[in-house]
Amino acid sequence: MSEQKEEAVKVGGENPEEGGENENPEEEAKVDFKPLVQLKEVDVQSGEEDEDVLFKMRAKLFRFDKPQGKDKDAPGQWKERGTGDVKFLQHKESKKIRLLMRREKTYKLCANHFIYPELKLEPNVGSDRSWVWSCPMDYAEEPATPELFAIRFANVENATLFKQEFKKAQKLNDGKEATEEKKDEKKEDKPIEKDLEKLSVKEDEKKSE
Amino acid sequence: MALPNQNTVDYPSFKLVIVGDGGTGKTTFVKRHLTGEFEKKYEPTIGVEVHPLDFTTNCGKIRFYCWDTAGQEKFGGLRDGYYIHGQCAIIMFDVTSRLTYKNVPTWHRDLCRVCENIPIVLCGNKVDVKNRQVKAKQVTFHRKKNLQYYEISAKSNYNFEKPFLYLARKLAGDPNIHFVEAVALKPPEVTFDLAMQQQHEAELAAAAAQPLPDDDDDLIE
Repeated sequence: MSEQKEEAVKVGGENPEEGGENENPEEEAKVDFKPLVQLKEVDVQSGEEDEDVLFKMRAKLFRFDKPQGKDKDAPGQWKERGTGDVKFLQHKESKKIRLLMRREKTYKLCANHFIYPELKLEPNVGSDRSWVWSCPMDYAEEPATPELFAIRFANVENATLFKQEFKKAQKLNDGKEATEEKKDEKKEDKPIEKDLEKLSVKEDEKKSE
Repeated sequence: MALPNQNTVDYPSFKLVIVGDGGTGKTTFVKRHLTGEFEKKYEPTIGVEVHPLDFTTNCGKIRFYCWDTAGQEKFGGLRDGYYIHGQCAIIMFDVTSRLTYKNVPTWHRDLCRVCENIPIVLCGNKVDVKNRQVKAKQVTFHRKKNLQYYEISAKSNYNFEKPFLYLARKLAGDPNIHFVEAVALKPPEVTFDLAMQQQHEAELAAAAAQPLPDDDDDLIE
């Protein structure tokens, strides 16, 4: 945005008050250094090559920072983990679905875990466009760590869609054996009950469901 | 360039020195890249903190050992000692504080006394703040000294990758280097420990009762 603004000023002519600077201040510096290394282009793998994207949406991810050491009785706080697209990726062969999120621009991982059927999305206090969940082990970084995640979307609609697709993915990840089916149904009862409770509290969700 | 207690890596690594007045956002900027967090609370850095910061590029991984130095004079510590063998640098000022820009030449001089002819990026931080004191056009120091200048915001992530990208390109002498997706390995199929998960759920209830920071983000719109 501001780069464009600078361009506009440049075209518009010099501003005498600013000392006649009509160049883009962020213009690439014309200076050469002796390179310290020589790097060759390599075939970089994203690790997503064998997967299909089932769902993708821009969001902001947080992780819960539990107090440690002498502050361990403090309440803890949510800390930003990254902004970018959260994706549900299904492996072409195993059909397993994982949640993967990278930060924009640097493409670093900020979440990487299977969408286990046991995970529960809960609302976050005071926000109608966020969910929190507990992940037993997240593999965004080495070593893997258990995490409490929160994710916030641009609006209620996006947050609702995320939850719908998350549940769909959980069902698919729960396996398709016939013997499992009964178990499936039972499990399915619980989240719905919970949802109904929420609906009675939240007007917005009632409309969108 | 690693400290004795730090693991060396089998890919290129560089010592990056970050200097500038206290409170301009050096530590916040580094932390933003390390963990994604945005720390609002100001705790002056004492001496220096060294953080390895990895990026994945089309030419493989590279690492910057970020020497995040104390900006405040009284916490300054070794100074020249921190600069030794610096291979690239960031000089940070705060666009909401004229004084921090005025002091840029001093930081530059001190740095260049120890590190000759290294690529340096001048960063005007906090450009998300409405009431700027240093306008983009008033920033001219970098022209005389052949520094690269970027307006950045550690808060909004505006241009936050640019300083590292510029330095990577200069250090490798390749203007086409760009960041690519870091490899996302398949998570192993672990069996779900229900007892463990129940404990986590209890923690989750407490966490869910804590509001998320800053609801005013337009970043995800």
